[in-house]
Amino acid sequence: MKKKTLNACLVALIMLLQIPAVFAQHNETNSWVQFRGINRNGVSSDITIPDKMPKLVWKKEIGMGFSEVTISNNRLYTMLGERNDSVSGSTFVAAFDAKNGSEIWRTKIDSTFFDVDGFGDGPRSTPAIGKDYIFSFTSHGKLTANALKDGKTIWQVDFVKEFGSTRPRWGFSASPVLVDGVLIMEAGGTDSRAFIAFDIKSGNVLWTKGNGNAGYNSPLVAEIEGKTNIIFANGRTLYSLTSKGDTLWTWAIPVGGPMAMPVVYDNNKIFISTLRGGFVTAEIKNNTVTQLKTGPTMKNDYSSSLFYKGHIYGFNVASLQCISPETGKKMWTKRGFGKGSLIRVDDKLIVLSDKGKLAVVKAVPDAYNEIGRVQAIKGKSWTAPSFAGKHVFVRNLTEMACYVFN
Amino acid sequence: MFLTNIYKELKDYTMKRRINQVFSLMLLLCLSNAIFAQTADEIIAKHIKAHGGEKKWAKVESLKITGKFTAFSVEEDFYTYKTKAGNYYSDRYLGQHKILEVFSGESGWTIDPWQGISYARNLNSAEVNVFYQKSDLFTPFYKYKEKGLKVEYTGKENVEGADMFVLKLTRKNGGQETWYLDAKTYLEFKCESNWVDFAYPSQCETYFEDFQKVDGLVLPFYVERTFGQRNRVTIIENVDVNPQIDKAIFEMPRRKEMKKLAFLEGDWDVQIAVMTRRGTWYPLGNTTSNIEYGATNMLEENISYEMNFPVNMKINYIYSESTGKYRLSVFNDLESSINILEGESIDTAMVVDDLNVSYGQNVPSTGNVQLSFNNIQKDGFTVLRKISRDKGKTWMPRGKLIYTRKK
Repeated sequence: MKKKTLNACLVALIMLLQIPAVFAQHNETNSWVQFRGINRNGVSSDITIPDKMPKLVWKKEIGMGFSEVTISNNRLYTMLGERNDSVSGSTFVAAFDAKNGSEIWRTKIDSTFFDVDGFGDGPRSTPAIGKDYIFSFTSHGKLTANALKDGKTIWQVDFVKEFGSTRPRWGFSASPVLVDGVLIMEAGGTDSRAFIAFDIKSGNVLWTKGNGNAGYNSPLVAEIEGKTNIIFANGRTLYSLTSKGDTLWTWAIPVGGPMAMPVVYDNNKIFISTLRGGFVTAEIKNNTVTQLKTGPTMKNDYSSSLFYKGHIYGFNVASLQCISPETGKKMWTKRGFGKGSLIRVDDKLIVLSDKGKLAVVKAVPDAYNEIGRVQAIKGKSWTAPSFAGKHVFVRNLTEMACYVFN
Repeated sequence: MFLTNIYKELKDYTMKRRINQVFSLMLLLCLSNAIFAQTADEIIAKHIKAHGGEKKWAKVESLKITGKFTAFSVEEDFYTYKTKAGNYYSDRYLGQHKILEVFSGESGWTIDPWQGISYARNLNSAEVNVFYQKSDLFTPFYKYKEKGLKVEYTGKENVEGADMFVLKLTRKNGGQETWYLDAKTYLEFKCESNWVDFAYPSQCETYFEDFQKVDGLVLPFYVERTFGQRNRVTIIENVDVNPQIDKAIFEMPRRKEMKKLAFLEGDWDVQIAVMTRRGTWYPLGNTTSNIEYGATNMLEENISYEMNFPVNMKINYIYSESTGKYRLSVFNDLESSINILEGESIDTAMVVDDLNVSYGQNVPSTGNVQLSFNNIQKDGFTVLRKISRDKGKTWMPRGKLIYTRKK
């Protein structure tokens, strides 16, 4: 008995040690510290929520931008843009009180970004919350560290000037990621500077790697076969690096370059979906990638899919859909959300339509099962919800709101 | 002998049986075709009935549909006119840009700033195929034979948990569509067809929901369309049956800059005069000219005259987006040459010349040419032809054409 308990403690200790050090203070239930949550997979599972719709706590106006709301220690952090006139404006990183949405501080980090096609102005990337600093990346390519406490700028690096990065048509969009105490970015720089690691305190470059322009995808961090993989979908190639910049594996994606985040599931499998090529799954064994399945049933645009109990849930262009990644079989489809977004909390999907309708849907493959929906915010809503402490946070180009599951 | 007879009888019997079998099979095939053809028409008859019935639709000449249209996740008001004759007019926003779409049953035009063209342009063939679909009053199956469409019923399929009749529709232009009609309601559920994404061909799925009654007519008030990466949602809020329609809305508008050249349009008597060495005008005779719009941004002139030898000229007048000036191409069949002239229309005169046209090494030995359009009035104008041998510092009159509108 004693031996069994000892073994269990040992396993628990090993598991704890495997969690990247920077997230030590955060957990899935009370924080959403970066793009797509603590595990970067759009999931908050260590919590139970009722089969009810959440209720509105507060709603407020917010400057333009597509950054997700990040949450830590009852504070919200996001990026936003404000216009001076039709051609000039500012980009801010800002902190808000999670209880009532009141602004705590804001710091200007760049001029604002105006979209050439009119799809929406302002920042695209989502900040990452560290122990003392928050790291944000503007659509013009400036990576900035600000103090969590008061927003004071600690350091800033201009990717266009420093690394020769070319701004994508719709602006720099990659979200920073913190791994093993290192800040990692898709930089799209010249001279083997596609991916760069920075020292958190100084902003100094620690290592650079790879060739390729900046795209619209963000690095994913996942445990595969017991190793931390930092996965970049850069153009049509998937790169997996360690936090020290060593290459674990690369793979030419057979369905084209994705905008949506890849999904790692079943310990060593990966799901990638593109708008034109459909989806592909692959297995990674001993750092060798083997293609498993391709299919047309999930074509993600900018909204990422997620995995739950053997199934993939995501937006097939503009239909919320559940498919089997093993067979490609479409289990169910639901139109009417436009090009929406989704996360999973407990056994439910929290879905935000492209026009701000918030729906709660049971994450089951047998049939679409909606618990309810509410018009949460008004207008174009391309930013996925965030979740912490039974609260759902949504924002779009003009509004931010908090809903709670009682 | 006996055995031979038995064998023969048996052979005849087998043969007869085979013939009967082949005949039955052929009959069955013919019958099955007949059954399917009949079934397709039966399905369509019930489909029309589900939409309100033939009698109700026979009284409908036109519809005005208003509501909300969503593109790029932005919802805006729209309105559309449709007529029984196949005319279609739509005024909507596609994201940040206002789009006008007009179709006359066979061809049409659009003003679509997304393509970097701010004026009306003709539809391309892929777009025409789409407008055949858009301009259907309510369903393509209504009087489909009269419209020259072909329909084939291919059987039942289960789509998203419901049984559907599957009909393959072939348009007059060969465009093919697959329609899924709900086996319970006979109303359309889904259509697969060829569409366009910014004028380029694309595969499309259209879903029809929220059927509502308007004056006994049944229409889908929610239509969602996905093609390539695009998603478009039409929510109908109101349908006016047989509204008054101003026919002028279907006419392709001239480019606004070309309206300044409207004085050129018409049939003209033209007096021709040349400048003598003494500096006086010598009348050379009369001719006629016709100037009319060949396109929204082009006036075409045909004029012939004889100065020793017969000369036929074709002159195109356009507004150039790139230079912000009017541009003339003058084709002279005697010289087999094209001259390009460019200039501006200011107040009541237009002056164009070829000073800024690059001739490379071969600068015309006859000098540069300038045309001045003066004395512009409702029923006439004068074109003065000048040449310059000092690159435009001085211009010498050479010819004059006085245009008078034909009565």
